[in-house]
Amino acid sequence: MSVSTAETIQAGTLEPEVKKRKADWRQTFVHYYLGPIIAFVVVTALWQLVPSWLGMKPFIFPKPTDVLEAAVQDWSILWEAVRITVVESVIGFLLSAIIGIGVSVLLASSLILERSIYPYAIILQTIPVVAVAPLVVIWFGAGYNSIVAIAFLIGFFPVISNTLMGLNSVDRSMDELFTLYHSSKWQKMWKLRLPAAMPYMMTGLKISCTLSIVGAIVGEYVAGIGGGKGGLGYAITIAAVQMKTPFLFACGIAAAILGITFYLVVSLISNRILGSWHESAMK
Amino acid sequence: MGDKEQGHFVAFHHVGKIYSTGTTALADVHFGIGEGDFVSFLGPSGCGKSTALRMVAGLEEASSGSVLVGGKEPKRVIRESNDIAFVFQEANLLPWRTVLDNVILPLELRGGSMKEHRTEAKRVLEMVGLKDYMKAYPRQLSGGMKMRVSIARALAAKPKLLLMDEPFAALDEITRQTLQMELLDIWRREKMTVLFVTHNVFEAVLLSSRIAVMSARPGRLSTMIDVELPYPRTLAMRTDRSFGEYVDRASSYLEHGSLRKELG
Ligand SMILES: Nc1ncnc2c1ncn2[C@@H]1O[C@H](COP(=O)(O)OP(=O)(O)OP(=O)(O)O)[C@@H](O)[C@H]1O
Ligand SMILES: [Mg+2]
Repeated sequence: MSVSTAETIQAGTLEPEVKKRKADWRQTFVHYYLGPIIAFVVVTALWQLVPSWLGMKPFIFPKPTDVLEAAVQDWSILWEAVRITVVESVIGFLLSAIIGIGVSVLLASSLILERSIYPYAIILQTIPVVAVAPLVVIWFGAGYNSIVAIAFLIGFFPVISNTLMGLNSVDRSMDELFTLYHSSKWQKMWKLRLPAAMPYMMTGLKISCTLSIVGAIVGEYVAGIGGGKGGLGYAITIAAVQMKTPFLFACGIAAAILGITFYLVVSLISNRILGSWHESAMK
Repeated sequence: MGDKEQGHFVAFHHVGKIYSTGTTALADVHFGIGEGDFVSFLGPSGCGKSTALRMVAGLEEASSGSVLVGGKEPKRVIRESNDIAFVFQEANLLPWRTVLDNVILPLELRGGSMKEHRTEAKRVLEMVGLKDYMKAYPRQLSGGMKMRVSIARALAAKPKLLLMDEPFAALDEITRQTLQMELLDIWRREKMTVLFVTHNVFEAVLLSSRIAVMSARPGRLSTMIDVELPYPRTLAMRTDRSFGEYVDRASSYLEHGSLRKELG
């Protein structure tokens, strides 16, 4: 018996392939990157010009150059604040990932448990974290613990809801296949449901990683402490009180860059994990 | 008890199935299948072919009567052995596992030495002509190749009973013909019993040693046809006169069934 389907995986010689790739790259650059770059330049130019035309004071609406100057001047404070916020949000994110996935697996392994607890998880999710933040401070005191707890709380629910959806997304016939081979409940969990849930899980983690930065900054607003232990949220509060608006802008931009970086890192890891074996990552 | 179906490898004993929705899928289906038979369930859509097959696999409970495999309840057979294997209409491969790891799955779930499992998986992959694709992922395969992997996976555990629910329905004609012949080869070599669901009369006659013709609403067994064409069968046999006669006979029972339905 031989394979009648001849599948050619590698095709074409290398030479035209390279040329084609160069042309491809130029194409993608024009189609996808040129627009955003032009938009960025135009907006930054307008931002630089408009405040000076209108004669706005830097502490009301700083120009990009003011922001840059403030960032350079107080670089050590900014850098320290970024470092602290990174630590807080990463710990918060890791907690929400680990606990979120753990709780999901637990809930998904028992229908009764899921049916009785999941509705409350949905209700809890609708409570804004900002509203419970002061309560967290009462419980954990001002400082790291509270901030991490808030970052965790805000990132926790997206992980749970996405992971649970994934664990329950398994095809009926796949499930029956495992039943036919008399697999145990845990085999089904490890070898079928968890791998099948991976793409959903990764979506949840991508959402929660940016949220954890929001959580850390909100946490610093309500529970931030000074003395060289303040993160971006704390730095923003101080800058606002002292009317150091350019530095406030610098902090805001730093937070945005942080969020984007964090998202990209988690996306990269998720593509690494999914890429080799999962169809959904191939889109 | 003391029924003559007791001696059969697969025995339907006055089986009825009413789904919770109120649909009567099967009514009083009573027949037996000998060990080593290749039996096709042939019938119009909705006549309960899949239901009957799923009962043999223990995936569905009979509402009345009973289904026995080797004298035991299917659920018990599944608990105790890998004697029953099922091939679904879709290949149902795990996309995150390579071809080899997909085929190993049934063996892996039972435990035991992974090294032996790997040897066994390679043997069945060779049998379906996919030895060179062991390390490929399902998404890199064509529909026909995926179905081959699915069949290899079913064979890996050396089942005594192979259940197939329209396994070739989603394939193109050429691929289907190749796989039909390969399946017959494997069946004769591995000496299994095969239950094969189809609504294609030609396919049923070409493959089966016996055809269970079913009629719809409620699903009943119209007749059993013994196909006495010699094995090995070839595609060329389709032009034989006796082949045509079997096709006519099976078709007339199918029409008869639907005629009865229309007359109420
Ligand atoms: N899980 C279910 N719940 C309720 N009704 C069902 C279920 N499965 C099948 N049925 C009904 O039982 C009847 C028989 O279904 P079955 O799938 O066994 O038919 P079939 O002969 O395999 O049809 P087809 O050739 O279209 O696959 C149909 O009327 C169908 O609607
Ligand atoms: Mg069916």
